[in-house]
Amino acid sequence: MPYRSSRLNSVKVKKKENKPSRIALAFFHWYCKRAFREEIEGDLMERFSRYKEKYGYTKANQLFIKEVILLFRPTLIGNIYQLTNTETMMITNQNKRLLSIMAAATALLFIPFVAMQFTSEVNWQFFDFLVAAILLCGTGLVLEFILRKVKTRRRRMVLALTLFLVLILVWAGLAVGIFGTVVAGS
Amino acid sequence: MSQKSIGEFEEIVLLIVAILNGEAYSVNIIEEIEERLHRNASLGAVQTVLKRLEAKGFVSSDFGAATKARGGKRKRLYEITPSGQEILEQTRAQRNALWDAIPKLSFKLS
Repeated sequence: MPYRSSRLNSVKVKKKENKPSRIALAFFHWYCKRAFREEIEGDLMERFSRYKEKYGYTKANQLFIKEVILLFRPTLIGNIYQLTNTETMMITNQNKRLLSIMAAATALLFIPFVAMQFTSEVNWQFFDFLVAAILLCGTGLVLEFILRKVKTRRRRMVLALTLFLVLILVWAGLAVGIFGTVVAGS
Repeated sequence: MSQKSIGEFEEIVLLIVAILNGEAYSVNIIEEIEERLHRNASLGAVQTVLKRLEAKGFVSSDFGAATKARGGKRKRLYEITPSGQEILEQTRAQRNALWDAIPKLSFKLS
């Protein structure tokens, strides 16, 4: 049995070594115009197999990723409908939710930024934005973690509410110093 | 710049397409550029230029055969069109006229 499993593993490794980065290929499928996809993917694969013969798998894969990135050009990328159709990138519902949470965090950060342009009462420094970004994105990531790991609705609600309460308390503590801590400036 | 003019890299790609005589596709165009001109070219740059040349009507293309090395994907073979030949001849004539216009003194001073 151990012999069989090691043989299976070596077959898996060989299979993997014949293929370039799946993520880079998915990224390419997402942005490239459908009309150009077949020929350019073929070119990428041909270049990858030549690089592999010349430099080995690791370097060939690095060069493949570099070429995928350098192909991201206005002439070759699809229109806005295609780029916003996330199914082409095979994004799962979970990842869609994570993207939405992160987009909401970024949008919240834009509020003080926009306000700063109109009033001098809002005056955030770079460090303020950094702390707010860490707080909001951290909360978003923890929320996504809770939603992925906790399956019952009741527990999800309790944990999510606790998380938001902690966020509000930390935010208020940092902003106006409601606690007698060093962080609050007391 | 008029639609019927080409840049330096476009001219190189068009010349290579003419050299390869119906067998030109992006991978062997890159290899020819590297071999003949000792210059690096990325797949993105070559593909962009080929699409631009096709839009200007200087090259035409058709799908070729699929191979195993290409992951079963067909290649797109490019061929120079009569207007492509015309623009190359025009560019060459312009260059020659400019070379002829250089006074011999300019080279002596350098």
